[in-house]
Amino acid sequence: MSASFERLIDGIIDALQSHVVPNSSDDFVRGQVFSAIYALNGLKLAADWKAAPLLEQVRLQDDTFAAVRRLADGLVQPEIPATPRTQGDMPDVAAIEALRDDGDRRLGQLLLWASGEGARAVNGDVATEIEHLLRRAICDQLKIELATTPKSMLQQIAGGERDGGAAPG
Amino acid sequence: MLEATKRSDDAAAVVNDDAVRAALAQHLSRISGRRTEIVSFGRKSSGFSWITYAFVARSAAEADRKLILRVGPPSGLFAPYSVLPQVYALQALANSGVPVPALVSSEQDGAEIGFPFFICAHVEGDVPAPWAANELDPDHKRDIARQFVEILASLHRIDPGATPFASLQQGEQRAELRAISGWRASLARPTARYYPLLDWGGRWLHDNCPQPPRRTIVHGDYRIGNFIEHERKITAILDWELTHLGDPHEDLAWAMMPTFNARSRKLYGVLERAEVIDLYQRASGIAVSNKSLAFYEAYALYQAAAIQMCAVRAFEVDRFNDMRLAVMASQMPSIVRAFERALEAAA
Repeated sequence: MSASFERLIDGIIDALQSHVVPNSSDDFVRGQVFSAIYALNGLKLAADWKAAPLLEQVRLQDDTFAAVRRLADGLVQPEIPATPRTQGDMPDVAAIEALRDDGDRRLGQLLLWASGEGARAVNGDVATEIEHLLRRAICDQLKIELATTPKSMLQQIAGGERDGGAAPG
Repeated sequence: MLEATKRSDDAAAVVNDDAVRAALAQHLSRISGRRTEIVSFGRKSSGFSWITYAFVARSAAEADRKLILRVGPPSGLFAPYSVLPQVYALQALANSGVPVPALVSSEQDGAEIGFPFFICAHVEGDVPAPWAANELDPDHKRDIARQFVEILASLHRIDPGATPFASLQQGEQRAELRAISGWRASLARPTARYYPLLDWGGRWLHDNCPQPPRRTIVHGDYRIGNFIEHERKITAILDWELTHLGDPHEDLAWAMMPTFNARSRKLYGVLERAEVIDLYQRASGIAVSNKSLAFYEAYALYQAAAIQMCAVRAFEVDRFNDMRLAVMASQMPSIVRAFERALEAAA
């Protein structure tokens, strides 16, 4: 489960309506806020997360599954899905996200298996190699998510600083 | 009991400050046996967990008293709450080397207010924000940082067996493992986004948790920002809601997290790690193990990730409308990566 696009938009609209509008007596500011709410409602109807970063994660997962399958030859391991899991264009973001989340669960099962006593007892060297491969691949997947994360504004958010300005992505 | 919580639409329950204020007046009138009025009542914090109010209690029989009320609302991030750890802390540490506000009253069953709460004395001073540290004189910060470490050492010198904390030890499981199990269970809730490294890392932490040099009272959130300072002196350690019995390395590792030190590797931006450890060892008599400290640095990030996921869940599933919770979701990839690196260092 990622933060859903619709839920995020709903949250922003609620924050503006519940906290910003009641505390603003300036007509111009209120006009700006209501315009922003209108635009957000439009986004909710017409937009969604970008598919490309999710697809990139799914493809990276598929490469990892293929590499683990090669290395684990002869070892009994948790089921590895057939790859590639995507065929042609996949315009449905929710479907790609579900594939990504399913891939995460399978990678987790493989990681727990490779670092567990059972796999170590059968072939310690291969199990260790698979564990390291999985950890690297999962970190690479996190890098893709980080690339779509804006610069932190936690200081301004926590302190409610007036002069914090906008942090560009 | 007054209606101190209300629901709006399908959003999570929110606390009604007016109802809390009226219930507070009833409570203080009852326990003091004289009519008490609440004035200058207002929220002091806008946190996600316990809600803090400052107020003045006024009655005909005595001078005005500046007090603090903390309530654990049913909509809080870690609800349902127990007031007991905080009450035990304030009781056990009164007149010890660990400065805490004086406890006035507490009710686990909620009494007039309706959910767990306690009342304590107001302590004069400021709560420093970690990121504002650059604006302070470095010598001032060094004074405060050294006191901060010495107070932690004082806390860890206390024999918990001689305090109400002894009753927190439940069952046979080691206290340190119980804490790890609790966060693992929280992360395993089916509605949370699954992070393979957290699943695997949680098992690693459980299987490799070191024996503590001694089991002490652990504050659980000991960091810059959780104390009051006044005239260059720490006058109260705050926020005891996560206090428990465990390994003292846990507090030390948490306090030194760069997140709580304006991204600096130095405590409060001024005390080098080696200096902190040296000062702590001399003051506490506890030998710091590099291996245990590395373990608890990884655990700190694991715990931070679990807390962030509680926030994500509150926004997504419980539909608690606070955009700061939504922002916390975006921090997950960087925390999980840092956790993986910390585990590598601890292994």
